[in-house]
Amino acid sequence: MFPLITVTLFLPLVGAGLLLAWRGASRAAVHAVGIVTGVLTLAGAIGIAARGVRPGAFAQLEQAAWIPTLGASYRVGIDGISLFLVLLTALLFLLVFVYSATVRQQPRAYVALMLLLETASIGTFTALDALLFYVFFEVSLVSMYFMIGGWGHEDRHRAALTFFLYTLLGSLPLLLAILGLYLGSDPHTFDIRAWIAHPPLAGAAATLALIAMLFTFAVKTPIVPLHTWLPAAHVQAPTAGSVLLAGVMLKFGTYGLIRFALQMTPHAFHQLAVVVLVFGVVSALYGAFAALAQQDLKRLVAYTSINHMGYVVIGVAVAALTLDPGVRALALDGAVLQMISHGLVTGALFFLVGMLQDRTHTRDINRFGGLLRVIPILGWSFVLAAFASLGLPALAHFPAEFQIFLATLRAAPAALIALLGIVVTAVLYLYAIQRVFMGRPNPAWAGLTDLGARELLTLVPLLLLIVAVGIAPGWLLGVIHQTTSTLGLG
Amino acid sequence: MIAMAHDLSLLGPEITVLVTAAAALVFEMARSPRGALAVTIAGLLLATGLALPRIGLHTTVFGGTWRIDELSIWAELILLPATALTALLVRAELPGTDREGTVYALLSLTTFGALALTASGDLMLLTLGLVLTGLGSFALVAYPRDDRATEAAMKFFVFGSVSGAIMIFGLSYGYGATGTTLLSGLDRLGAMPLAAALGLAGVLIGLGYEASLAPFHFWAPDAYDGAPVSVAAYLSIVPKVGALFALAQVVRDLPGAPVWQAALAALAALSMTWGYLAALGQRNVVRLLAYSSIAQAGYFLLGVLAVGSSSLAIPSLVVFAAAYAAMNLGAFTITLETGRHLEDFNGLGRNHAPAGIAMTVFLLSLTGIPPLAGFTGKALLFGATLNAGYLWLAIVAILNSVLSLAVYLGVIVPAYRPGGAQGHRSVPATTAWSIALLATLAIGLAAQPLLAHLPYVPPT
Repeated sequence: MFPLITVTLFLPLVGAGLLLAWRGASRAAVHAVGIVTGVLTLAGAIGIAARGVRPGAFAQLEQAAWIPTLGASYRVGIDGISLFLVLLTALLFLLVFVYSATVRQQPRAYVALMLLLETASIGTFTALDALLFYVFFEVSLVSMYFMIGGWGHEDRHRAALTFFLYTLLGSLPLLLAILGLYLGSDPHTFDIRAWIAHPPLAGAAATLALIAMLFTFAVKTPIVPLHTWLPAAHVQAPTAGSVLLAGVMLKFGTYGLIRFALQMTPHAFHQLAVVVLVFGVVSALYGAFAALAQQDLKRLVAYTSINHMGYVVIGVAVAALTLDPGVRALALDGAVLQMISHGLVTGALFFLVGMLQDRTHTRDINRFGGLLRVIPILGWSFVLAAFASLGLPALAHFPAEFQIFLATLRAAPAALIALLGIVVTAVLYLYAIQRVFMGRPNPAWAGLTDLGARELLTLVPLLLLIVAVGIAPGWLLGVIHQTTSTLGLG
Repeated sequence: MIAMAHDLSLLGPEITVLVTAAAALVFEMARSPRGALAVTIAGLLLATGLALPRIGLHTTVFGGTWRIDELSIWAELILLPATALTALLVRAELPGTDREGTVYALLSLTTFGALALTASGDLMLLTLGLVLTGLGSFALVAYPRDDRATEAAMKFFVFGSVSGAIMIFGLSYGYGATGTTLLSGLDRLGAMPLAAALGLAGVLIGLGYEASLAPFHFWAPDAYDGAPVSVAAYLSIVPKVGALFALAQVVRDLPGAPVWQAALAALAALSMTWGYLAALGQRNVVRLLAYSSIAQAGYFLLGVLAVGSSSLAIPSLVVFAAAYAAMNLGAFTITLETGRHLEDFNGLGRNHAPAGIAMTVFLLSLTGIPPLAGFTGKALLFGATLNAGYLWLAIVAILNSVLSLAVYLGVIVPAYRPGGAQGHRSVPATTAWSIALLATLAIGLAAQPLLAHLPYVPPT
């Protein structure tokens, strides 16, 4: 059978290699390579989706020997949890390549780094070998570090350094946990499927491994109080970096929370589920309230990310807490869908903030006003994405959050206090929309031009999908449910 | 006599190294440094080739004093090519200087001493190896004969003499208590904890000095900075790996594992932390790499302390040594080409993209970022540490890895700032770092050929 996952996974890397070798490439040629590779990768991802998943197991397995002595293999495959994350990744990268087609500063290195990041991201979601997963997980850090440090805004060097140090500190405990699981497995292997089928650790060792993993994924997601790297990284990152950071890389945290923490140490997670739930609730509320206080539009969106990812954490914690398989599947369906919705909605919002900044060179909410009349397409797009972000029915976040809260209601009703977060996000988005797009137009912005064709090409697919997922989430949930309903955790 | 001949036949690589050193001297006498370089590289590669068929051998020669096992064989396979690459660096840095050929002879001789260390089955061979390595190193450091080099060599020499003397003093207790100088006799020390402790302390000081482990490292930054960069690169790899492998040979037979493991764990934690903290503020890249090599020696100890309690220990030491040799040599080589001062690196990545990328790869590998060689080595070391039950040490090690990223980014960041980094690109140096780069990538992406030949038996 044609190794579609492997080809899709390494296509961007091939593109990056091509760019590295092609010294004299013109700017147009460089961006063309990026876009063409992005299109092909997305086509590959769609092909993977067309082949589908199987209930209760990983589908489309592809493997090859890597370090047989250690029991590490090149092994990739997908299930209902990872499938849409791969699709989302391929889509967001393509849109980012389209959006970035005007980058003039060292375009060859820029596109090559992004292609490297794309391989790392798809690899993180498809790897079925823990060592391989870790390799992709870390490579993504390196490429994002250079992205922020090379093409970021004013204070980029410090933000990049903080990002790299913080997230490396975050990810090394995962390495120890992986080594612990490896030493506990019999025979020794890094096979994720084997670890899921027969969790290698029990008792205190499992709890220690879980704590290490929770630390790693809490930094990545991020969960309060380990979120402090996020606002700085987002604010300083170029728009493309922010979109990918929020849209794709934050999902590494919640994906790992399900794939590693929940599936490999289910009993330990069950015991600590209440603690994780509390952190999830605190994150959701903190993110919402902190966003309320922001005057910088990009920081505002960054903090709402913490809020939305907090709901995902709540969903996963509820799934670990409950003993009812139906409630667990409900919670996980919601959590996985929430990841996809957040990728679409926050991706759109960061693009929009970037487009606004491209025109006005500021992100200060107080310096805008009445922009809806000046640039109506950008304005209404922002309104739509903001409404989606605050959880309006018929838009992407609603079905996801609805399911998470429904499961929470049945497993841990007290945690529903997180619903308050929705109210706060509603307030802050309405306030932001009012300050930026309504009211008296600021004469300084009278001459702004509305979205061009390239920008529309970037934005429209996301907006359409936000509506599509909101109106008909069933086509996603059906696939996700195939896996979440057959997890069979102890 | 037949036994002697048989023993000598097993030492083909070592004898080749000695002959190579002599041949280099002959070429130097004939005023042909190029000839000395050629014969050195050819001889070292021939010795490497002779060592290859010995993989898997597990025996001793000369009545148990010289061990031919995975540690000593892999030390040959790693240190001999590393020495050959260093010879290329010497050619790049010191071409046409007076007595250039003697440097090549000294390199081979010192490497012979390091190989003797890694093969130690006897306290006397250990001492001999240490003295040989030390003497060769002093002479290499002093080679430029200017004030800085002389001062550096002097410091190095005084430190070396004192710690060597302390080691011999400590070893005398071990000999007195066991009645043998064979390491395999150390198990008798179990009943004599005081003699064992004094002996161990002596070995730790002597080998700790040679491996520049904190707190016996004070000579290292000065010696590295005073010496030619190529010699600094050499010192950071060959004598260090020799001493650390020798330590592994000693603890293999040492009773009372909980005690010496705790001592090694404390040294490891100290060395890693001290090395990286001291490296943080350095504006001189050679000194920065010197402190980094002190910290990396601490990482080696993670594997040494697990010898005997984890089957991952020996593979982790060998893989990390190979990785370390490649990435450290690479980092020193780019420094040699670019300049000692941090300011010299400004703009390296823009003006010389390949050198910039290579330096980034070497430094990220030293940090332990996958999929580079340093990651493979460190992952194995961490596994061995966990397997030996030292969770706290593994945590100290990962915290230090974060610290190390801050250290190494201190060099990477200027390389991508605007600036006029020029440096002297030369064919020998570029060849050396290209090979180091390939090795760094290969050990990271495809460690299997290395691991397949190491005595690691996963439980089935």
